Amino acid sequence: MTLCKDVYTIIVMNIKKYEKIKSSVIIFIIAIITISIFSKLYLLAVVGILTGILFFSIVRFKTDIAIDEREQEIKEKAANITYAIFVPTISIGSFLLLVPSLSSSSVFSQGEFIFTETLGIIFAYLTLFLITLYTISYFFLNRKFGGKSDEK
Amino acid sequence: MKNKLKIFRTIKNLTQEQLADKLNVSRQTVIAIESGKYLPSLGLAFKIAVFFKVNIENIFIYKQQEE
Repeated sequence: MTLCKDVYTIIVMNIKKYEKIKSSVIIFIIAIITISIFSKLYLLAVVGILTGILFFSIVRFKTDIAIDEREQEIKEKAANITYAIFVPTISIGSFLLLVPSLSSSSVFSQGEFIFTETLGIIFAYLTLFLITLYTISYFFLNRKFGGKSDEK
Repeated sequence: MKNKLKIFRTIKNLTQEQLADKLNVSRQTVIAIESGKYLPSLGLAFKIAVFFKVNIENIFIYKQQEE
């Protein structure tokens, strides 16, 4: 009977309850990770993180927690701003890091800037990856929310 | 867009916290709507109207000049 009541309590959980449970679980996981890192039990840290991810996935899947729409909108705008700032920054960064290695100057051509060149290449691929991911998710969401071509 | 949410809430003698619980949103959302800093979605606007048993346009007043 108590178990049924607990399950019911979880299912009808509102935002407040969810936030409380989330905070408790996060504190617990952080404690486990801290202890495991200090004890050099890295596997335990990984298991702790995976358990946390699994717990939140199950809770979100099994319960009907209404997401606060204002918070959701803030998250969307924050993600947009982050994307708009991050992508140009790393693309310019990658360009600046790659320029010295492309230069005809003898200093650069001797491979002294091999690490900056590698970093530049990583940044360039990261930029491409982000743009690709954005494009794919944009088209996917566009289709999901009915942005297909007009039907005859 | 203006709204009379605060008036309706006061008539019902509810706190922002209580109204937020009834609408299943955060208190910050209620505060933001009341102060006009946040426009609720159509779904939430209808939810508010249904909760106060009035028409949506009785709570939310659309001003054409804003466009």
